[in-house]
Amino acid sequence: MFKKTTIFLILGICLVSFLLISYQSKRQINFIKIDFSNLILPIQNLKNFFTEIFNLKEENRKLKEQLYQTILQQRSHHELIEENKRLKGLLNLQERKKELIAIAKVIKIGSNKFLKTIWIDKGHDHGIKVGMPVITLHGLAGKVISTSSNFSEVLLLTDPNFSVSVRVERTRTEGIVTGTGTNLCILKYMPLEEDINVGDVLITSGTDGIFPEGLKVGVVRKIERKKGFFQNIEIIPYQSDSKIEEVAVIKS
Amino acid sequence: MKSILRWSIFIFLTFLIEKTFTIEGLNFNFSFLLIYLFVIHYFFPKVEQKKIEPSELLPILFFIIVGLLEDLFQGILGPAVISKSITGYLLILLIKQLFFHWTELFKAIIICIFTIIDEIIYSLIMIYFFNISLDYFSLLKLSFIKGLSNIPFGLILSWRKP
Repeated sequence: MFKKTTIFLILGICLVSFLLISYQSKRQINFIKIDFSNLILPIQNLKNFFTEIFNLKEENRKLKEQLYQTILQQRSHHELIEENKRLKGLLNLQERKKELIAIAKVIKIGSNKFLKTIWIDKGHDHGIKVGMPVITLHGLAGKVISTSSNFSEVLLLTDPNFSVSVRVERTRTEGIVTGTGTNLCILKYMPLEEDINVGDVLITSGTDGIFPEGLKVGVVRKIERKKGFFQNIEIIPYQSDSKIEEVAVIKS
Repeated sequence: MKSILRWSIFIFLTFLIEKTFTIEGLNFNFSFLLIYLFVIHYFFPKVEQKKIEPSELLPILFFIIVGLLEDLFQGILGPAVISKSITGYLLILLIKQLFFHWTELFKAIIICIFTIIDEIIYSLIMIYFFNISLDYFSLLKLSFIKGLSNIPFGLILSWRKP
């Protein structure tokens, strides 16, 4: 029933493959990745076209609402920005600018087998580089993990391999937000004695050197204070994964 | 020659569909269906070709090619070659057991179980060598969903075969 030659062949293939894998895991060899994006794009565009038609009316209404709100907020914000600049000038602090690199459309969700990712229609031809933060109107969405000429792959905030240094807006306490693989995130390394409440807003602290400070990340949803050194804190991200349509890539 | 061309087109279309469509961010594992269909077509040919014992080398070569292609799409060579070769070989061993009745239900169970095996082997290699963060419960859940999603396509493509 078992042919010896076949078994030896399978064992040989496995051995060679394991050798290749171990070299790749140590980054001693790298292989090219076949990029299907250019072929997939027309199909994706067609799919997106029909989806967009259905969503256009609703989006238009929402945008109009947002526009009026923004105009109203802008008036009050302008005063605050000017005041802030004056005060910073007095304190001799340098402002870190959030420079916009490109605004991109989401063309595809997750082609990576293990990571929660999205593909956007701008790549290194548009100035996008690996590691750049990706935001939406609501808040932080993720970071760029790979680019090609016209496309980029973005690792989402809710992926377990994603982490960002954050600050609780109310108390200014710092921690690290990591994805969980679901639609929620967790706030790590928050000591038991820290005063964190449900509803507290988290913003990026800028101390990780990747994300500029002040980007909205999420809101505290649930707090558990068990035995140990740290609290278990669940976060709802401002930007839901399933609702990302357009993103902005900014400079780190 | 005609057969090679037909399989090449079929492989291309399968990968194109696999990479294009996702459900809530979850990819399909249609590449296993290629293995399944090839084995079914090879060991149960349409016309009685009276092969006393078909060679196992050609199917294994096919598993390696499919595995290599899948790996090239992920940019890491090896994991899919291993998973596809092992799963394919297990499938050959099963097919050679003549006492099984290949009913539609049996085929559905086989497609589901072997997709799960393929996914688990692939994922364990990735978790072990590349420190991919994925808990084992999610891995089982995702593999099971992929296994289930392969059943209708597998049954349609292998309708009334063998």
